[in-house]
Amino acid sequence: MDCAIQFDNVSVTFGGKTALREITLAIPARQIFGIIGPANSGKTTILKCINRTLDFSATARMCGKVVVAGRDVASFRNVCDLRRNVGMVFPLPVGLPLSIYENVAYAPRRAGIHDRGELDDLVEHCLRQAMLWDEVCDRLGTLGTRLSGGQQQRLTLARALSHRPEILCLDEFSIAIDPVTTMKIEDVLLELKEKMTIVLVTNLVQQACRLADRTAFLSDSCLIEEGKTEKIFTNPANKLTQRYVNGEFG
Amino acid sequence: MNEPRDARSAEKQYILRWSTADGTAIQSSFSSLAAAFRGLLQHETACLGDSPSTRLPPWEIACQLPGRVAPPRARPRYVYHVNARASGDGGDGSEESPWWGLATAVEQLIRLDQAGQVNLRAGQTARLVHREVFTATSVERWKKVKEKIASLVFMVMALVLIVPMAAILSYLLVQAWPALSLAFIMENPHDYMTAGGIWAPLAGTFCLVLISLLIAAPVGVLAGVYLNEYARDNWFTRIINLAVVNLAGVPSIVHALFGVGAFVMFAGMGRSLLAASCTLAVMTLPVIITSTREALAAVPMAFREACWNLGASRWQTIRTLVLPNSISGILTGVILQVSRAAGETAPILFTGAVFFSTLPEHGLQAFFPYGLGDRCMALSMHLFTLSTQVRGVTPGLQYGTAVVLIGLVLAVNSLSIALRVCLRSRKKW
Repeated sequence: MDCAIQFDNVSVTFGGKTALREITLAIPARQIFGIIGPANSGKTTILKCINRTLDFSATARMCGKVVVAGRDVASFRNVCDLRRNVGMVFPLPVGLPLSIYENVAYAPRRAGIHDRGELDDLVEHCLRQAMLWDEVCDRLGTLGTRLSGGQQQRLTLARALSHRPEILCLDEFSIAIDPVTTMKIEDVLLELKEKMTIVLVTNLVQQACRLADRTAFLSDSCLIEEGKTEKIFTNPANKLTQRYVNGEFG
Repeated sequence: MNEPRDARSAEKQYILRWSTADGTAIQSSFSSLAAAFRGLLQHETACLGDSPSTRLPPWEIACQLPGRVAPPRARPRYVYHVNARASGDGGDGSEESPWWGLATAVEQLIRLDQAGQVNLRAGQTARLVHREVFTATSVERWKKVKEKIASLVFMVMALVLIVPMAAILSYLLVQAWPALSLAFIMENPHDYMTAGGIWAPLAGTFCLVLISLLIAAPVGVLAGVYLNEYARDNWFTRIINLAVVNLAGVPSIVHALFGVGAFVMFAGMGRSLLAASCTLAVMTLPVIITSTREALAAVPMAFREACWNLGASRWQTIRTLVLPNSISGILTGVILQVSRAAGETAPILFTGAVFFSTLPEHGLQAFFPYGLGDRCMALSMHLFTLSTQVRGVTPGLQYGTAVVLIGLVLAVNSLSIALRVCLRSRKKW
């Protein structure tokens, strides 16, 4: 199995509080990998390990090894190179205080693309993928922060796609998006997995069931079970997993 | 249950009384409390008035001994609440939760009476108050009063600020009025400073402020950016922070002595414009650093993290996002230091300012009178000299100098406020 991301005995603590406990996990390339689990079970921390966003919090300590595309993330001297290849969408949408166009063109510009035509195409493409183009195509100059919550979340998604990442990490990407648009974006994600590895953290168990090829279930900082989605949802090995996917707790 | 509780209770009378909207008093007498409560229902239509907008009175039941009419007491022994115009079954008779409808109220009152919870002695009254939905309870009314008091106190304190400001300005202006003219500003002082204008010190102040700003602003702003954006929280950063805070608290005369030691003597600048500017720069530096840091810290962390997530480096994030959104605060901090530098006397006293220097009166030289190595006059110093060191100066000259100095400071401050308003109006989140 071709592994895009490999977690090798990874533990994370935030100032003494354990967020992840000895996680060993292989995330295969060109698939959608779902991560489910109750609140405070370490789902988001897994994503933060992938692009070393963990560095942002001064108290976080990680031990173990995370390998992305064959390279240990700790070995990146210039962490920008790593983050450029990982698209990240967090649940709280953050529209940068720039125009909608510049929001999406931000990462390509920083990566050195300055040709206007190329940027135009890229911005339109990304906004279409995030199902936002039709709503904003006639006002690309307005501020990204003026959009509604759901629109900002889609803008964040478009931004994450704008640097053509190898790995796309989605943390509750649909939390503020209406169900109809969510379904459309889910279709786009299914297309996108031809080109990139998608890690999908979600509280909507059914969303993981619909989209993910493989699913991992986390509870209380520990990896309880990981396997093919059908198996996790129909015949899980662990009682806890079964109770969670059936909606009996969590 | 309704048996007399003591020997005299059989003689007690219960008077139901209230006054209607048109002012007529209604009063009827009952032999028991329960009967008095029921009496309310007999008078229901009269109780509720003609229209829903009529204010309903409190209904009172007073307990009396026959032949002795007790005066109505101000404070009733029991107060119950009812929303008389409502109907249904609810509420507990308290202020927060009035009974729904007179019928419910009477039913509940009779129940309370049977449970022995309404004990009226002679001369005491029970009151039933009508209470509409959404009317303020006593807690809410008190809350409103406290709110009024608080805002009033704060407003008075804010107004107190204006009084000395207006007093100083108006006094100075009145005193200086005869002396003020364009010539006053454009002429150099002459006749041992008892006549002429203030051009030489004004030009000196301009030069001092400009040069000190050219030194302090880049250093201060860049240091502020480093401290807020790059520095991690460790002992080294904490020492720098401590130094900045302490430097801001150093008295200006100590800065002056430091300037003498460091710039005039050690660096060999001599007493000069440059040495005085450097001293002013050191004095303004900590505040520029602090205000820069505050302006930067006002940009939400989420923006930076979003940029970093996109693969932008720290410098790219600062250049494209953090600085454009904090520039108004940074500039405000810098400009406010201009007015501070213009007003300070002590730091330049030993480092480069002189009481008097003879300057060319005409030509380009008159507009740029000082070189970096020259000693110079300064407005603040000039004001000090005129007021204490020179005999025979007209008050107009003294007050005129003060007005120009304070006007300069006010103009710079208003510029900073205008800039802030202008840049804030483009606030993007």
